[in-house]
Amino acid sequence: MFAQFFGAFLLNNQLVSPETLAQAIDDKKNTRMRLGVLAINAGLMTADQVEHVNVAQQSVDKRFGDLCVDLGYLTSADVDRLLSEQPTDYLLLGQTLVNNGSLSNADFESAISAYKAKYQLSDDDISNNQNDKLSAIVKDFFHFNTAENARIYTEYVTLLFKNIIRFIGDDFTPLESCMVSEAEAEYIVCQTIHGKYNAEICLACPSAEYIAFAERFAKEELSEVDEYTNEIVGEFLNVNNGLFVVNESNQLGIELSLDPQTYIHNGSVKYGNKAFCIPVAFAFGEVEFFISIT
Amino acid sequence: MEFKDIRILLCDDSMFARKKLRMFFSSLGIVNIFEAADGEEAVEKYKENKPDLVFMDIVMPKLTGIDALKAIKEFDKDAKVVMASSVGTQSHLKQAIVLGAYDFVQKPIDDAQVEKIIRNAMK
Repeated sequence: MFAQFFGAFLLNNQLVSPETLAQAIDDKKNTRMRLGVLAINAGLMTADQVEHVNVAQQSVDKRFGDLCVDLGYLTSADVDRLLSEQPTDYLLLGQTLVNNGSLSNADFESAISAYKAKYQLSDDDISNNQNDKLSAIVKDFFHFNTAENARIYTEYVTLLFKNIIRFIGDDFTPLESCMVSEAEAEYIVCQTIHGKYNAEICLACPSAEYIAFAERFAKEELSEVDEYTNEIVGEFLNVNNGLFVVNESNQLGIELSLDPQTYIHNGSVKYGNKAFCIPVAFAFGEVEFFISIT
Repeated sequence: MEFKDIRILLCDDSMFARKKLRMFFSSLGIVNIFEAADGEEAVEKYKENKPDLVFMDIVMPKLTGIDALKAIKEFDKDAKVVMASSVGTQSHLKQAIVLGAYDFVQKPIDDAQVEKIIRNAMK
């Protein structure tokens, strides 16, 4: 999930365009990490030093790592350690953007440093997928800090993104949220959680995205929106909400219930209290999640 | 008892959820599979088909899975009803245990867990 929010960070800081980011997300599965980016990320080399080695490599027939050692930038142990580490997803995204020329090594250095500083992230946090750090990013990114029920919004949306990665795919970028009093779309699926508090949750999008989302969850091809497609998308919402309700019960002893899902075609849902609209840009298009907790 | 002999009733309001479980049951070689799309239908189909094992969702229209479990156990105290739901909260678990549920499966369903439950029920 750190990769998706790193993508959003690059987008929000206008370091990449939405099209470039979408292409890089698609390409990163074929990307191989290079030592320069790994060394910059680890804080062992600056972008200038990496460029220096790149230039030096043009006139000397040596491997990048050996040259780094010769020039005194890295030790052999550094090279071995960096090359043996499993690359994290956000690094693959960064490497892809460096490879296709969208970011220079210097751009990557400043972006990764600013991203880590903004959310106080260490490499260990990222490698271990630290839940509290993920929640902190979600809370800050979607401006839940000032919302009433900030904890619930944060927990819910953090779980939602984990389940999107688990069931739909990791090729998405969360976009800036906004507050709305109405959700309107070609297709909307809603489910209400009720008990100590009430949460109205909707997923909304046009038909092409609705079908693509359902296809990803069901792992089968669908040609049109029918009752079966509705139920697939509804089941995603039901599974996610169920897991949230179970977490609340197990961790905090809060007992909540779920209502059956409702489906709307070419219509809208009005919220008494304003809802957070959380758009998510997938490779197949944009899907919006609406969440109102009272 | 073997997989080809067991009779299973599958109760879920989601056609998609039923299809997924039915496909898994079929892959095991189970052929006697009955379906119900709500709690009321689940009770009717139980009385009609007397299955060896029931997989029951909780959040369903007309009659919830918990109410359907209660009705089925009143009809047949030996009924083996597995609650298969997305809402495995402490209170639902307690309710299901008190009412005599055979087991509980949290959605998304883990095929290995379901197979183990079926094998135990066949003993």
